[in-house]
Amino acid sequence: MTAWIDGQAVERDAAVAAAASLLAGAHAPVIAGLCAEAAAVQAAFDLARAVGASLDPAAGAALYADLGALASGGAMTTTAAETRGRADLVLALGAAPWSSGLLAELAADAPGRGRAAGQPRALLALGGPGDGGIQHVSYPAGEAGLPAAIGLLRGLVAGRVAGPHPFADLAARLRAALYGVVMYDPAEIGALGAEMLNGLVKDLNEVTRCFALPLGDAHQGRAVAQVSAWSTGQGPRVGFGRGYPEHDPWRFDAARQAASGEIDAALWLASLPAPLPSWARTVPTVALLGAPKGDEARVVIGVGVPGEAFGAALWHPRRAALAWHAADPVPSGAPPAAAILADLRARISAASPAPQPERSASC
Amino acid sequence: MSTLTLREAPERLDLAGVTPAAVAGLSEAEAARLVIGTGRRGLTLGDCFALHLDGSEELRIVGATDRLDRVGAGLAAGRIVVEGDVGQRLGAGMTGGIVTVSGSAGPFAGTAAKGGTIRIAGHAGESAGGALHGADCGLDGATLVIGGMAGERLGDRMRAGLIVAKGAGDHAGSRMIAGTIVAEAVGDHPGYGMRRGTLVAARHGALLPTFVETGRQDLVVLRLLAKSLEGVAPEAAALLRAPQRRYSGDLATLGKGELFTPVG
Repeated sequence: MTAWIDGQAVERDAAVAAAASLLAGAHAPVIAGLCAEAAAVQAAFDLARAVGASLDPAAGAALYADLGALASGGAMTTTAAETRGRADLVLALGAAPWSSGLLAELAADAPGRGRAAGQPRALLALGGPGDGGIQHVSYPAGEAGLPAAIGLLRGLVAGRVAGPHPFADLAARLRAALYGVVMYDPAEIGALGAEMLNGLVKDLNEVTRCFALPLGDAHQGRAVAQVSAWSTGQGPRVGFGRGYPEHDPWRFDAARQAASGEIDAALWLASLPAPLPSWARTVPTVALLGAPKGDEARVVIGVGVPGEAFGAALWHPRRAALAWHAADPVPSGAPPAAAILADLRARISAASPAPQPERSASC
Repeated sequence: MSTLTLREAPERLDLAGVTPAAVAGLSEAEAARLVIGTGRRGLTLGDCFALHLDGSEELRIVGATDRLDRVGAGLAAGRIVVEGDVGQRLGAGMTGGIVTVSGSAGPFAGTAAKGGTIRIAGHAGESAGGALHGADCGLDGATLVIGGMAGERLGDRMRAGLIVAKGAGDHAGSRMIAGTIVAEAVGDHPGYGMRRGTLVAARHGALLPTFVETGRQDLVVLRLLAKSLEGVAPEAAALLRAPQRRYSGDLATLGKGELFTPVG
């Protein structure tokens, strides 16, 4: 069995019918999680448009730390592959880069193309735990924390802060590098820290080349941002309650909406693993899960795992792009979440065939 | 005086544009048809409020809750008096007039407000006088007075105007472009990324390493500011009359901002 209602195994069709009924009867539904292949995320946006739901990815907080900085001041970024090919200096900010696996690869080789070709590669760490197996130079962030340290480094690099300082050497190295890369996790340094970091990178580009390398989240957030951009022209926290996509990162935070009693139904989409929010057990919820147990929500429907049960477009962190992930040699045959979501939309549209005309998008 | 009495708020309601001038030309039946719902029901003013309109320049909102968003947004003249709490974006983009709230406000109060005065008797949420996601600026010339505590990032990316609060959380004055913030106490790391602007706080949390002390100051401009504050917030004016220690920052960015705190 791959479908459950109130923890009881049922036929999939009965569960889809129950899910359609739950969403169709809701005044303010939310579609959250969105930890899934691009086709399923697209189907979720289409369903949200049809039922007037809002959307919020599991990656929301981490994603918006970077999107906020990007929207405020822009960013100069690069990819892991370009870093490996061109960087003669890599600065790892905080703890997250040390668990990415990329630093070990970067330590093992040197830039092979571009203006730094043939130079050795220096690995530097600011505020991270380091790794005894990887040769690097470590600078402690200090009591003030990582965002404050990024600001101090920026002041030193630009010459606005002078005098002897433990970071003075780090600032000089960044200025002297031919192709520098700063690796960071937006969730770790926050929106203000990310904006300051982008400012540091831009300041460095006055004298040399330097780029930011944001580490993606684990829940397809970057892919969701792209689907949202081409579907609505905005970030992923949008709501279709008024018939057009309204972007509001505060209002459409699903956890906030659940806590304040603003949503009366939810659909949690996680064909790939994502932590189930606590509100899934209090708000009437339909869960589409790649690895279901059956008791996660009121209605649970098992769906195929993308890149295993079927080929799918997923975020590829190393390429920093959507990329095709082929199916296993012997696929399981479990249905894609996109098919279930399209089925839900068809059932709900058939029951209430008067769609709202779409007006222009909000700013 | 016109009055809107809230009967129920089954979802967040958007009161942008519900100003004294906008409803002055409407009959109660016409005003009742204004759509204020944010969900698929298309709720109207009449669905949620009992209306009494007399065309006056003062609009009173009674029984307000934190589900009322954008109260006073776009106000150009007249007065809106709120009895209760409000949600996000109080007075967003207003250019004139007065908005008063007897309770507390949600996030982004006074965002992009160019003129007029906003008074919140209670507390304010995060980014009061701050910028929305991707917006050019927060408070942009208006006056925002908060009787209680403001959340984090008070005056975030504000460009002009004055904010007075009893206290604020961390990162008060973050990314400030210009303008003035006066508070009895602010949290850690005030002025993170501020370019210009003035912060005055009797007490503050940890200062950033990119703020440097520039000595004790007894500046005429602070006395002038105190004088201008007398009518708005007398307790804030008293704060400015003491000799001040000045810090310059944020040297991570332009570094033309300043933080004043009383000596001693």
